[in-house]
Amino acid sequence: MSTDNPDPITGEVNIFTPDFAACPQPTYRKLVDQCPVARAAFTNGPVISRYEDVVWALRHPEIFSSEMEMQIALGTQRPMIPQQIDPPLQTKFRKILDPQFSRRRMLTIEPELRRHANALIDGFIDAGECEFNSAFAIPLPCTAFLALMGLPLEELDLFLELKDGIIRPQTKTNDPDEPGRVRAENGRRIYEYFEHAIDERTADPRDDMLSYLVGAEIDGRKITRNDILDICFLMLLGGLDTVTSTLGCNIAFLAENPEHRRRIVEDEASLPNAIEELLRWETPVMGVPRVVKQDVTLHGFEIKEGETVMLMLGAANVDDKTFVHGDRVDFERERNRHLAFGAGPHRCLGSHLARLELVAAMEEWHRRIPDYAIKAGETPRYSPGIREVQYLPITWNAG
Amino acid sequence: MRADDMKIRVDLELCVGHGRCYMMAPDIFDEDDRGHCRLRLEDIPPELEEQARLGEANCPEGAIEIAEDRR
Repeated sequence: MSTDNPDPITGEVNIFTPDFAACPQPTYRKLVDQCPVARAAFTNGPVISRYEDVVWALRHPEIFSSEMEMQIALGTQRPMIPQQIDPPLQTKFRKILDPQFSRRRMLTIEPELRRHANALIDGFIDAGECEFNSAFAIPLPCTAFLALMGLPLEELDLFLELKDGIIRPQTKTNDPDEPGRVRAENGRRIYEYFEHAIDERTADPRDDMLSYLVGAEIDGRKITRNDILDICFLMLLGGLDTVTSTLGCNIAFLAENPEHRRRIVEDEASLPNAIEELLRWETPVMGVPRVVKQDVTLHGFEIKEGETVMLMLGAANVDDKTFVHGDRVDFERERNRHLAFGAGPHRCLGSHLARLELVAAMEEWHRRIPDYAIKAGETPRYSPGIREVQYLPITWNAG
Repeated sequence: MRADDMKIRVDLELCVGHGRCYMMAPDIFDEDDRGHCRLRLEDIPPELEEQARLGEANCPEGAIEIAEDRR
């Protein structure tokens, strides 16, 4: 890690590089200690890093708004619901969506998740190696999404393609002007797909999430077709990449830290806490953006109305003021109020699904492949923003 | 219940449904339909004090408060 990030003179921090994403914690610590309000390289937006500041901002959507023009660019035609709208309307949508994503509800798809995890492992265990991201971390959350929505599992490849066309359009084309067009085109296909699925369930309701949305009401009135589409869009984008990234970050960490890995293999009951600690340490969603609605002064730094700030969840999660020895990974940690799923009214809607996927996937994985390492001579590759470990070759003793 | 039992309080205005409390301390906290916190008991017997502390220590919203006014 370069020693001049953040730049000690300008306070400028580069948070959008693969190098930073591969090992952000040392920079986080410097931000928290020396630069509580930094400026992001390239965008010049304020970067807020201390735990108490990040939590405060997350809990004050009237100052730190989620309604921002620039976010309507992921191939969407309108804001995604409820992520890109503010209370009080956001609160009404959360009231109808939260019950669909409660932990109790999520437990109903757990057996199916474990089955899929094992089916994936069956496909490569005898080879003694795999590229973890493509072989496991990408397909598993997608099957969870399909199961939850009530969509056929045969749609897996289609959904992976649609999602990549939005999140990584550059992988579909070499023309630098093309990503925007690829995104818009994929966005249209996603709307079209869900339009069709909504039609089917309007005519013939089933016991699934889409049918629930078709019948859902706010203030005694059915939510609109566009509302449903804007919710579906978010579920697709939010539900896939984040868990993929978390699985990759966790396995990369455990491959490189065998003493921690042994701990969870020897005592399966320690896994849920270990996962919380890894969520804190790795924080795959490094930060979340907000638009500032009024001038704010924080630690002597002025933040102007209209600026887009980055709330660095990852940095807040290693702040020593909140976490005892925040720079150490401790699976026995007792106080862990981490912000990997955010906080305040926008707390990740899918957090209970994510946790269930993580526990199920990691438990099944370690039962069958307890001992593994990064392939000799190889280095994992991380993407910035959301820390997907795009290249994670691992090996184990087959047989 | 005894007079010197530990007391626990949840600020439901602050709770947004992280669910850390009912995962870590299931004998004290439950979930409502939305996955938000619901207290099973307010007076904590000694054998559940450890759970109560874990619940308090892991709420990202700081919505859980423990009062131990022992004489």
